[in-house]
Amino acid sequence: MNSTDDTEYRYPIRPCTLVYVVLMALTVTTWLLGKTDMTGLNIALPVLAFALFKGLLIGDYYMGLKGVRGLWRWVIIIWLAVPGSMITWAFINAS
Amino acid sequence: MDAPGLKALAVKNNYPPGDLAIWIFILAELLVFAAFFAAYAFTRAHHVELFNTYQRTLDTNAAMINTLALITSSYFVMRAVAAIREDRVKLCVRWTVAAILMGVLFIAIKSGEYAHHYANGVNLRTNTFYMFYLSLTFFHYMHVLMGMIILGAVAIKANNGSYSAREHTGVETGASYWHMVDIVWLVLFPLVYIMR
Repeated sequence: MNSTDDTEYRYPIRPCTLVYVVLMALTVTTWLLGKTDMTGLNIALPVLAFALFKGLLIGDYYMGLKGVRGLWRWVIIIWLAVPGSMITWAFINAS
Repeated sequence: MDAPGLKALAVKNNYPPGDLAIWIFILAELLVFAAFFAAYAFTRAHHVELFNTYQRTLDTNAAMINTLALITSSYFVMRAVAAIREDRVKLCVRWTVAAILMGVLFIAIKSGEYAHHYANGVNLRTNTFYMFYLSLTFFHYMHVLMGMIILGAVAIKANNGSYSAREHTGVETGASYWHMVDIVWLVLFPLVYIMR
């Protein structure tokens, strides 16, 4: 592999590595929020939003769905939205 | 060449990476998990105190480490796909094996959690929270085991020279399944361990 190929190979990996760092940071943030032992929607809903965003990143960048046209592009997004909405609804009505 | 998600940025495709059949399977699995999550959340709405009380008995440290392990494994699998697209077979095998090792870590930690609960007499009949906790997490646990078997098969086939830059559908198929297992856990972790 020459240097040009190496650059072409390495460049796209960088955004996926950045996504990895974001995923790890959001996970640790979620865990720290859990450690506060606080309850209520002010904690629960942001934590859920972090989880849905993390799922979106995995779908787009690691599964490669960002570059897919049509219905398949939306599979993970729709899946995240449906249980996400139901969980939100259930937590709002429980509080 | 590039990472799976980013190659797609340049050239749009009509179908997701890997065999289409695995995506039908992934859809079915996601529907089941969505139903599980909804059932948990709506049941919790009627037993908030019970769920909040017993949720505090769970080991969030172990769950956090397991989440990091699965995210790391997904990153490794993405690197494996990127490597095979470069025709770097040995590198693909190494990344895949590294992902499997993260899966082993997940299984070891989760098994430890189950052993702890079992030692304390917790089972499916203990209460509604534990019924959901044990069934949801064990259902996911079985998916992790299945994913490790699939990745193991991918690693063996890659090592035998069955995959190349031209033909690597099997690697993408295994990767797609593994990422699905990861996404499910990313929702399960806060829902069962953190959200109160």
